[in-house]
Amino acid sequence: MNLRGKRADVWHLVTFIGFAIVIVFLIYPLFDVFQYSFKNKETGELSLANWKEFFGRAYYMRAFGHSMFIALATTFFSMVLGIPLAFFTTRYKIKGSNLLTTLSVLALLSPTFIGAYSWITMLGRNGFLRNLFSSIGITLPPIYGALGIILADSLQYYPFISLMLAGSLMTIDRSLEEASENLGARATKTFFSVTMPLVLPSLTGGALIVFMMSLSNFGTPMIIGGNYLVLPTLAYNMFTSEVGESPGMASTVSIILMLCAAVVIVLQTWASSRRKYASMLVNRPVVKKLKGAKAFLAHLVCYFIVGLSTLPLGVIVFYSFRNTSGPVFKPGFSLGSYRQIFFDVPKTVANSFIYSFVAVLLIALVGTLLGFVIARRRNLAVKLLDPLLMIPYIVPGTVLGIGFIVAFNRKPIFLTGTAIIMILTYFIRRLPYSVRSAASILKQIDPALEEAGINLGSPPGRTFRTVTLPLMQSGIISGAIMSWVTSMNELSASVLLYVGRTMTMPIKVYLSVADGYFGTASAMSTILLAVTGIAMFVVNKYFNRGSETFIAS
Amino acid sequence: MTSIKITGVEKRFGELLALSDINLAIEKGEFFTLLGPSGCGKTTLLRTIAGFYRQDKGDIWLGGELINDVPAYLRNTGMVFQNYAVFPHMTVYENVAYGLKVRKLPAQEIEKRVKGALRNVHLEGYEARTPDKLSGGQQQRVGLARAMAIEPRVLLFDEPLSNLDAKLRVEMRDEIRAVQKALGITAVYVTHDQEEALVISDRIAVVNFGKIQQVGPPWEIYKNPVNLFVATFVGKINALDVVLGEDLGSGLRRAQAGSLSFAVPSAGTEGCSDAVLAFRPEEVVETADAAGVNRLSGTLVSTAFLGTVVSMELELGGSTIVIERHRPKKGDIPATGNRVEFAVPPESCFIFDKRTGARLRAEEGR
Repeated sequence: MNLRGKRADVWHLVTFIGFAIVIVFLIYPLFDVFQYSFKNKETGELSLANWKEFFGRAYYMRAFGHSMFIALATTFFSMVLGIPLAFFTTRYKIKGSNLLTTLSVLALLSPTFIGAYSWITMLGRNGFLRNLFSSIGITLPPIYGALGIILADSLQYYPFISLMLAGSLMTIDRSLEEASENLGARATKTFFSVTMPLVLPSLTGGALIVFMMSLSNFGTPMIIGGNYLVLPTLAYNMFTSEVGESPGMASTVSIILMLCAAVVIVLQTWASSRRKYASMLVNRPVVKKLKGAKAFLAHLVCYFIVGLSTLPLGVIVFYSFRNTSGPVFKPGFSLGSYRQIFFDVPKTVANSFIYSFVAVLLIALVGTLLGFVIARRRNLAVKLLDPLLMIPYIVPGTVLGIGFIVAFNRKPIFLTGTAIIMILTYFIRRLPYSVRSAASILKQIDPALEEAGINLGSPPGRTFRTVTLPLMQSGIISGAIMSWVTSMNELSASVLLYVGRTMTMPIKVYLSVADGYFGTASAMSTILLAVTGIAMFVVNKYFNRGSETFIAS
Repeated sequence: MTSIKITGVEKRFGELLALSDINLAIEKGEFFTLLGPSGCGKTTLLRTIAGFYRQDKGDIWLGGELINDVPAYLRNTGMVFQNYAVFPHMTVYENVAYGLKVRKLPAQEIEKRVKGALRNVHLEGYEARTPDKLSGGQQQRVGLARAMAIEPRVLLFDEPLSNLDAKLRVEMRDEIRAVQKALGITAVYVTHDQEEALVISDRIAVVNFGKIQQVGPPWEIYKNPVNLFVATFVGKINALDVVLGEDLGSGLRRAQAGSLSFAVPSAGTEGCSDAVLAFRPEEVVETADAAGVNRLSGTLVSTAFLGTVVSMELELGGSTIVIERHRPKKGDIPATGNRVEFAVPPESCFIFDKRTGARLRAEEGR
């Protein structure tokens, strides 16, 4: 369909807007970050001082090492948790396996800082689990630092492994394993020579996502890390600390963080471009029914893994109903913490809902239009725009926040301290997901349907509205709901950009934890959890989309 | 009256020349088929008529109007797609009414035309169904009704039956033909199935390598192919490399294929020595009926009994030849390994230039 090539149509305008967004809200702020890192703090001259300092001083190199160690350890433990869960739930009959999947998705989607904060209430200096263990004579190692981060991160991110692996384990053609057995291989041989190679691409894919998420995670190390600095918290501290504030150094750290993320993304693209085997399903694999001790063990493993990852969420909900007096929990239950939120900081709650809502409208609209251009109008400009739109994938929230502050705190675009900059942050961080998902929905819609509309006399614009859009609708809405959830839970960029008026719930949780007001933090976190849970339920129930939506979008 | 006129049309996709110097005139009410192997350019030509591609060179007229720069949605061509392209989010009624609503027809007119179109394709009573409740054949009927309802200047069919099973394909093919004749509407039909093309068409254009090889009624295409490609693509044929030899008198000439010697028509073969001799399996006769020439015998390799016909594969002089016997009686089918005798009438032999593939024949043979 290139008949109208010569005339400027609405899709050219969309492409232009896409470029404008990328240039103004990505390239411009990131270029500022880049510039800062190569500038001398005093003289403003071009200099490599920041880079020399970064690589020269143990303080910085240690943070880099910490980041790598945390990301690797998290990836490893996520695999330890995710692989057995995926294998058992797909190959053996596990009672309540749907519930297990739902709970693990909830753990995955819950705000990152909730898990960390909850582990503090359990294993912190005065945590109830720590006290419980010490009453029987066991002294647990301190939770602040690497141990806490790895614990919270692994229990949050392992579903990336289990869901992706389960997805591919379920779509292996049974005949392949049967063929192996028929050719004389015993079960273990079949597993290692047929099953494993077939699911390896999704395992690598999942592992790289975990690595990436853990590397750029800000909330968890900020809350539970203590003095154990990783790159995102280091950048945040360099940028905000009142003594020795150093935007140049923060920028250098940001760039290093982005480079690491870029390497991971390249690896991931490479991993997922290798042949995927799951396709034309003829025979689904058999789900075996286990008996006796084996059945008990399999159930125990699955419920233990999911239970452990749901425990922090449960604890938070529990604490939100406890009586408090200021920062101190008291015996008995009440809705005091909730009352406090709605009387003291109703604006914070309202802000979160309003900003996310406006951002999601923008994300859905712009994402769908750009997705269409990318899937259906591949001209030279679009081919250039496509990778540019993916930049936010490799920009950790902290880095984007720093970029936004430096770029939009001066003419020509002055946005700091406004609601607009919060909304724009949500918008930019989510846009690539929305574009990708719209484009992949479109790839499943036969172009012949659009041609049929045009052939029957309907102009391209009307055909998009009457044929394409209705077919995309459910995908767009479920994607928008997911965007809404992630926007509601966004902390790493907005914590750099907020002012008192534009405070949101995740920021309030973070500040409350820092100040020791655990009651308010719990109630606020419970609201965010409920929102996440309801959104998941709606997507599942009304749009009939399984767990894959939650990873893909 | 000419319905579609195409002159000098050329279309390139990058380096690939998809259509090269296409010239066609399709009459009003004609059922015209573009036949060729996949990738030959037939679908490209159809989509160029529909306006989904813009030709690089040449002109297309539709009903006397030059439509080169008319966008696809204003061309008023009714297309039936290979994978049906029935809108999955609309009912059968809404699908058929889609083009009529776009044209802003009054409600009663829309209803009347939808009813009429659905009656034509035998889908009365299916109005409220959604496409996922329909079989492939029914979906394609919806596609056909939808295309007919807009009363297009021409119906375009893009391999509409290739996704249906064999029995349904035959049924639908007859229906399409019947509806098209009843409405008197011009149809351009794309297929790679030569049998389908022979049955359904008024005229066929055989396409290969983006070029039109031959245009003519089915009989002409089958019985009088202009080149080796048309002869081998349409129908079954035995083709042997031969060297043309001395004149045998009575308008015949020797053609030598290894140890096998044939007498073939000499008209048009002057100056050519390397050639291809071709004859269709059903053209061979019993030796008793032959006038003493081209009597052959071969070793039976395999037989295939097809009901009205028995097809026999013979080995003779290093070549494999397939012959057919019609209405075989018991005892007509010898066991493999036996000798089978047959004769090829010289007038059934096609001679092609081995180098160009062009048919060599008498000037007035057209």
